Amino acid sequence: MSDNRQQDDKLFELLAEQSDQAQEERAPARLKSRIYSALMRREEESGPLRALGETRTQGYGLCVFEELWQRATSGEAAQRFNCCNLCHARVLAEHLQRAPIYWENCPYVTFTKTRKAED
Amino acid sequence: MEQERLEAPETEVLSAGSHEVSDRDLIAEVLRKDRKATAEFVARCADPVYSYVRHRLFPRADLVEDLVQEVFLAAWQSLDKFRGDSSLRSWMLGIARHKVEDHYRSQLRELPIGEEDEVEGDGPAGSYDLEEAIATRQAGQMARETLADLPESYALILLWRYWGRRSLREIALETGRTEKAIERLLARARSQFKKRWHERQSATRR
Repeated sequence: MSDNRQQDDKLFELLAEQSDQAQEERAPARLKSRIYSALMRREEESGPLRALGETRTQGYGLCVFEELWQRATSGEAAQRFNCCNLCHARVLAEHLQRAPIYWENCPYVTFTKTRKAED
Repeated sequence: MEQERLEAPETEVLSAGSHEVSDRDLIAEVLRKDRKATAEFVARCADPVYSYVRHRLFPRADLVEDLVQEVFLAAWQSLDKFRGDSSLRSWMLGIARHKVEDHYRSQLRELPIGEEDEVEGDGPAGSYDLEEAIATRQAGQMARETLADLPESYALILLWRYWGRRSLREIALETGRTEKAIERLLARARSQFKKRWHERQSATRR
């Protein structure tokens, strides 16, 4: 290997290291929303979701729409249905970076607020 | 190796409202198809994966979001393999690295790389300019801008070799090219990078 190439390799490696130290960039909220919706579709396709009641038992909060859905519907299938499919919040969040949705415990709202733990 | 840069020191425990879970417990909940755990999984990993992919695919911003989504879908299919030996972040970044390399591989297989071209000389200022600027805070930004000016095959080979820390031999094997061809492509890419870096720097000094 020539000295020039070795020197170049060293320089470019240093440059790569330097530019990798740049601050972590946040993913757009609408991208997180789309990813979440895609994963939920996959989960539904591979079998029923965990029932809303079980989710609550695990310590997660339900949003106002999920609460309503849980009370208004009966039967195992309805409790395991992804009711976000019917919710306007999902549609807005998948298309707008700053979707005007503010429901507590709505996953799509969470994506607009997510911060790293150390923040 | 780049793997070392991907590793985080310990398992992260982040907060999802009042609900705090370790990476391993979170994944167990996702595997039970808990919708809130799935949301937490996305919230926890999207930023580092997005940031990594964006930097490695630069300047192709148009491909970033699709590739990030692919990373999550691939991860979801292999979630049962996550053992918690490394952090979820490192595990996800490992998958992202494979996806990015798949992109490099397919692009370098398809793009013409002009194996017969001669390598241009650096000119007197080439390496000196770069060496002088590396320690400055603007170096990273300027590197990205310079990469964006290059033909796609040059940007890809530089990213793969130096940012992805792969050897010439590995890249040659992955792309089905000879090591010599990859070496020549890389030499031309470095030469063009330095030339454009120099032009950019001269323009800022004026």
